[in-house]
This record gives sequence, C-alpha cells and structure tokens, in this order.
Amino acid sequence: MTTTDEFDNLTTPLETSTSPALKFSVYSRCSTTKARASKMQLPHYTASTPMFMPVGTMGSIKGITTRQLEALDCHVILGNTYHLGSRPGPELLEKAGGLHKFMAWDRGMLTDSGGFQMVSLLKLANITEEGVEFENPHDGKMMMLTPEMSIGLQNSIGADIMMQLDDVVSSLTTGPRVEEAMWRSVRWLDRSMQAHKRPTEQNLFPIVQGGLDERLRTLSATELVKRNAPGYAIGGLSGGEAKGAFWRMVSLSTDILPTNKPRYCMGVGYAEDLVVCSALGVDMYDCVFPTRTARFGNALVRTGSLALKQGRFKDDMDPIDRDCDCPTCKTYSRAYLHTTVTKDTTGCHLITVHNIAFQMRLMRDIRRAIIEDRFPSFIREFMQTRFGKTVPRWVVEALQSVGVDLTVADEKGGYAATAIDEDFQKTPNV
Amino acid sequence: MTLRFELKSAIAGAGDASGTNGARTGRLVLGRESDQSASAVTTDTTIDTPNYLKYTRHGLQPHMVREVAAELEGMPAATRVQLEDFLADEIPDYVKLGDGMHGFIGLDRSELLVLDTLDPTVPERTSKSSNTFMGVDSEGGTRRLTAEVFARLADQLKPDIVVPLADYVEEPHPSLTQGKRISKSVSRSCKWLEEYLSKRKHPAAVFAPVMGSLSTELRDISAKKLAALDEVAGYVFNDVSLDVAFEKKLQLVGHSLERLDASKPRYMAGASAPDSAVRAILRGIDLVDSSYPYAVTEQGFASTYVFGRSASDEEASTTSAGHVDLWQESMFSDFGPLVEGCECFTCRTHHRAYIHHLLMTKEMLSTVLLQIHNMHWYQRFFAAVRESLGRGQLEQDANRFLEHYCSDARDAAFGELETLGKQESSPTTKIQRKRHAEQHQ
Repeated sequence: MTTTDEFDNLTTPLETSTSPALKFSVYSRCSTTKARASKMQLPHYTASTPMFMPVGTMGSIKGITTRQLEALDCHVILGNTYHLGSRPGPELLEKAGGLHKFMAWDRGMLTDSGGFQMVSLLKLANITEEGVEFENPHDGKMMMLTPEMSIGLQNSIGADIMMQLDDVVSSLTTGPRVEEAMWRSVRWLDRSMQAHKRPTEQNLFPIVQGGLDERLRTLSATELVKRNAPGYAIGGLSGGEAKGAFWRMVSLSTDILPTNKPRYCMGVGYAEDLVVCSALGVDMYDCVFPTRTARFGNALVRTGSLALKQGRFKDDMDPIDRDCDCPTCKTYSRAYLHTTVTKDTTGCHLITVHNIAFQMRLMRDIRRAIIEDRFPSFIREFMQTRFGKTVPRWVVEALQSVGVDLTVADEKGGYAATAIDEDFQKTPNV
Repeated sequence: MTLRFELKSAIAGAGDASGTNGARTGRLVLGRESDQSASAVTTDTTIDTPNYLKYTRHGLQPHMVREVAAELEGMPAATRVQLEDFLADEIPDYVKLGDGMHGFIGLDRSELLVLDTLDPTVPERTSKSSNTFMGVDSEGGTRRLTAEVFARLADQLKPDIVVPLADYVEEPHPSLTQGKRISKSVSRSCKWLEEYLSKRKHPAAVFAPVMGSLSTELRDISAKKLAALDEVAGYVFNDVSLDVAFEKKLQLVGHSLERLDASKPRYMAGASAPDSAVRAILRGIDLVDSSYPYAVTEQGFASTYVFGRSASDEEASTTSAGHVDLWQESMFSDFGPLVEGCECFTCRTHHRAYIHHLLMTKEMLSTVLLQIHNMHWYQRFFAAVRESLGRGQLEQDANRFLEHYCSDARDAAFGELETLGKQESSPTTKIQRKRHAEQHQ
C-alpha cells in the first residue's frame, strides 16, 4: 500500500475545530466544489478525510485480520452497537477494556446508536418518547432502548466516535410523522449529551434528520448546530429514496453544518456516491456493500463490479484491476479467483481485501485531487470511466449544483455526457 | 530442475533389521536453475524429513491468504495441490499459464509444489473410473480424467513433483475373494503411469502411488513394477478410502515398503493426525500433509498437544484431548491466549474470549485466527518429532505421546479429521451450530 501521505506538504490548516476528543483541521478546499481534504485527530488515530469506514458489525471485518486492515490503510472502522450490545455484551467489553482491546485494533473506531437495527431488524419495534420498545428476539420479552442506554452501551464499547440514538423513519415516509421524528431526535440528542460519561475520550455526533423535507432538514441541522458537537452526521437517507432527493438533502445539510467540523453521511458506499457527496462537502462514509458484495464474488472496479463467478472469467489472466496495488491484484488473475470465489473462505478474503483496497484508493485519489486542486477534472475522469457517455441525471444535477457541468466539455475539450433517468448503473461500463 | 532425497539416518523398525521399515531422517532438496541460464545459478529448497506438505484448497492453505500465511514462521517450503479443485468448469486448458501452477495460485517459485489428483480429506467417493479414465466429481459434474489429459495438465502446471493418475479403490471394504476391483485398480494404475510417462514433456519428479489395497499379492505386483521404474523418484500411499484400522493400513504400507527402493522418499495421505503421523513415521514414512490442523480449525478447536522433550513440562497443563474447545461457555470471559506461552500471531495478538465471540457470531475471522495457531502448532510438533528422532528417542517419546493422548477411549484425541468428513464446512455453518447447541442443552 502507498505510504506517502497526500498531506505531506501541507503545514498550515485553513481552519480547525477543537473538542476534548477530536481535532478537525481542513487543509485544502476545492476551488470549484464544496469538497475539502482534512485531518481528523481522534483519541486512537489521526484519520485523513474524505474517508470510507469499513463496517465490522460484530467486532471484525469479515475474515480480515487487524494487521491486514492496517496494511490496507484503514483509518477508522465501524462497529454496530445493537449487535455488540447483545454479543458479547457491555459487561464483557468493559472487562476487556473496550472494543479496541477486545479485537486488538488500535486505530479509529465509530459506533452507531443501535436504533437503526432496532427498527430494521425487529418487527415489533414501537417508538415512544422514552425510547425504542422492542421484543427481545432471545426470550420474547418487551425491552426498551433509550438514548441513555444507547450512550451507556457505546461508552462501554469505547469507540472514538459515538452516534446519538435517533428516531429513524424510513426515507419514504411523509407527513407529520417525519416532523415528530425530527424534533424527537433533537430531544434525544440532548438526553444523550447528558448521559455521555466519557466526553474527553469519546465524541458524540448528532444526526441531521427531517426525511426528504427541505424545511425539516433545515430546522434539524440548525437546531443541532446550536449544540456545538465535535462533528455531525447526515442520517435518514440511503433508504431507497430517489437519488435526486438524496443529494439535495445532503447538500442542504452541508450548507448549514459548520465548515470547520466533520460531516458524516451514513450508509453511503457506492463509488459514484462517494465522489458526488465529497463534492457536496461530506467527509466520512460507511457502508456494508463492499464487504458484503465480496462474499458473493463481486470485485469492485472503477467501471462497476465484476461478478467473478461468471464463466467469462475462467480464462481471463488479467488481475481484477491492473492499477490496483492490493495483495490480491498483485498476485492473482481473474481466472484463479473464478475457481475459488464463493467456494473457499480464502476466495472471499481475497475479494474482501481487494474491495476494501478499492474503497481506500478511491478515497486517497479524491483527497489527492482536492489537495492538488484538480478535483473537478478528477470527477470528469471518474464519471467518464464509470458511466461513459450517459450519466445518471442525479449525478449530473448534483455536480452542476457545485459548478461541475458534465454535459459540457471542459477546456481540454474531451468528455461531455448526457443525463439519463436511471439512478444506478445497470451494467459495468466495459 | 532436480530433486534429490538425502537419507541421513534410519533406525530399524520393529521386526525389520534392514531399516526399510523404521523411522528415518532425511532431506528433500530441490535444485532450480535460475532464469539467467548463462550464470547457471541453482537455488536449493530444502525440506527436512519427516515433515508435512502444506494442505491446500484451490491452491491456498485453508482460511489463510498469502499475507496471513506469512505470519507463520518455520513452515516447510512444500505445498500440495489437488487437480480436482480446478475441474469445476470442464477439463480446463491452462495453456495460458506460462508460469505454471506456481504463478496461478500465487506460490513463491522457491516453494516445492506437489500436484496430486484428489483431496485427501474426502474419504468417500461416488464417481467410478473406467479402463481409460478416472471419474472425478466436481461442482460442474463428473469429469473424465484420462492419463493423456492428466499429462497435458501436468505439463502446463509444471509442478516440481507429480503424483500420476491412478485408479484408487473407492470401496471402503473391497472384497479380496470376490470381484476384481483391486486387481483392476493395480493394472489400470500401471497402465496409466506408463501412459503418463510416455506422453509427458515437463520433467516433474514422479511420486508414484503404491497400489494393491488389501491384497498383499497385488501390492507385490504394484511395488515390483514401481521399483523397476527409474523415473519413479518417490512413493505415495493414497489409500484414504480404505476403512480398516490404521494399524492394518501401516502393515499394508510396510508390506509394500519391503519391496520398494528404501532410498526414495515416501508420502502417506490420510496419516495427518499427530497420532497417525508419528506411527507412520515410526514405520518409515517421510511425508504426510497438513489436513489435520485444518480439521481442528473446522471444529472450532485450538491445538494444545505436546510432543517430545518439552512434553513432560507442558503435558500437565494440557488435557489429553489435545485441544481446547473454543465453543465452550467458559471461554466467554477468558482473556488468556489460546495456549499460554504460544508465539503464534493469534496468541500474541488475541485472546480466547475474542475467538469464542467470533465463533458465536459466525464471523469468518474465527477460522482464520484458529488456523494460524493450529498450523503453528503442527509445525512445532514436526520439529519436536525430528528433534526426538535426532536424539534417538522417537520410539520412547512416541509411546509416551500415544499413552497420554490416545489411551483414554472416552476422551481420545485427534479424531477431528473423521468429523470433518461428515460436516459441511467451517464452524460458521448451521450444522456446526446445531451440534454446539445440542451439546449445551
């Protein structure tokens, strides 16, 4: 992996924010878009942003050792509070000295609140002002997760960044329930801040809510900024809403959130989303997609994804990606991977390693392009590689909103795209 | 490329004055000319015997990708690969592999690569062979492997050692008196070996399967044939399907060894478990394979068995099971390493409670970390066996080892490979969890 740090020549930050357990320094701003490249100093590690955080739900990233994760240049990983709270449970994690020690990971870590899993995994979740009431899948008894309990669990886990419990509604919900959830999330933030016992060791991030309603999002973001948190998350998106609404909510949020603090867009991990959201001023991302799709034998490339199980790869002696310097691409051909994916655990590990390396390299490229102030041309190259001549309309419009117009050829006279109505790429651009 | 076997010492086995049937130490030396033919530099790869060939699936050791396997030190530079893992898509044409199997599976050039046909951990086979082909079951259907196709693939894959195609008897209890299965197996195997030798171009060292199953007469015929062939550089005992007591298998192997060239190396498949391995080594076997530690990992166990000089100190602290079960509830809050004092990556980095948690939550890292430890432990066992042999104490040490781990029938150690054949795969499968749930009810 590359050891050169793209921040090496930058000595003075443009702006900073300092909290007891986090120092955020913006070193470089794109002169066209809202993108920025920053350093985020956490109790366990100083991360470079924009960054992608692989998800290690149960306290491990699928089959990958912590030493491999370091070699892959992962700065922060994510753990799920709901899962870790039931197994191994907060008592054991406290005894172990926190999740860092329990899993032997000494870089950055972020935990979610557990609320999303409550609502998405459990059928009988009922939300009241007190908290989320749910049926314990183990014994069938009704239980309650309150904002205080979520923070208590997260204090036991000990991650560098914790998330407030929020009242999650589907991004497809409309009507008064969205406003109720938004205001309740603000009240729950206040309770969470009250309950937080380790403010000098852990950061608590509020979550901007408000569904797809501009007025509610604005209200939410404005309310949260008053709490002077070390960083902010944009939540309640990536739930199947139209991408046109998604990017508008992200952009609206980053316009209100302070420029000297990190912004985290939850549940985002597709390459084009990472590029677009970075242009909209987002700094942090997480998603299960890269590691999950690896288990089905899908390797990520700039043009999309290769389903290595397919017969067309059985004689293909090229690596997944010639330009990738991950251990898998340096050693194995697609033909070899074709023989082992979905059969052996090592087949899965090889693709997982590549997919994490893919995400990390994309983020490094984004950071470098921002620092060298050529992010707009990076975006053009990226979109040309990924989509060719036809680019999803939401991408075109999101980028137009920050001064990059893909439909017009730039001064180099090369690439110009046509907008199409599909939100996602249907087939790889090969 | 040259392969030579240097026999260093042999001690006489029970009832055998010639040394043919006794434990011995040696080294397998692979000399490979480097690409710059002008300078004609040869680099040697040396494997001290007795030792093991690294067991692989699709060319990689179970659960460990290259950079993870690199955490292990002192492993023998010898890997075995079975051709059947690469037959899912019809008989492949590996002509594009300029670099052979080494490059394809990411093996260092210095590593000695043994190409066999079948996975030694699969004792039960359903597909039948004919006079002209071996039937191999694959995900994509039954493949018909002829000696000619085998020779072509072996030429393309360029292994250092090849175990030519043979007609293994698939029946667990072949009849000695009725039917002609064993005799067919011997004659077909002889024929296929000759065909392979006449068709092949790549000069891999040939380790020939010694055939004959339960029949001593037919074993004589097979052994005499192989002993007469100059091209045969070593012998393989591949009777993994045969369902007889291990002692009986060793007798059959011993019978053949008396008719074979004692200066050549011998590999026995199905003798991977430490008790089997040490008994096979006492009877003159030089090489087994590391399928055993894989089977231990699949059970969610960590090996603890100790052999030889250090055993007296350490035995007291380990049970006669030869492993600890990481599924046990007592592991939940056990912050000790898998084995106290163990220097493997897993024991240096993680504790039992974490591995237990990974098993309980079906996380794949559980088997990765267990496999690292179990391979480290297996390597340590072989180093101890060679050390004991060097001191001339192997028989005494082996007796004590077998007494400690294998005398208590209720808690008999080293049965993990038998369980492996019956289970689906890794501890993260439903079957394994069900077994666990039943145990703890």
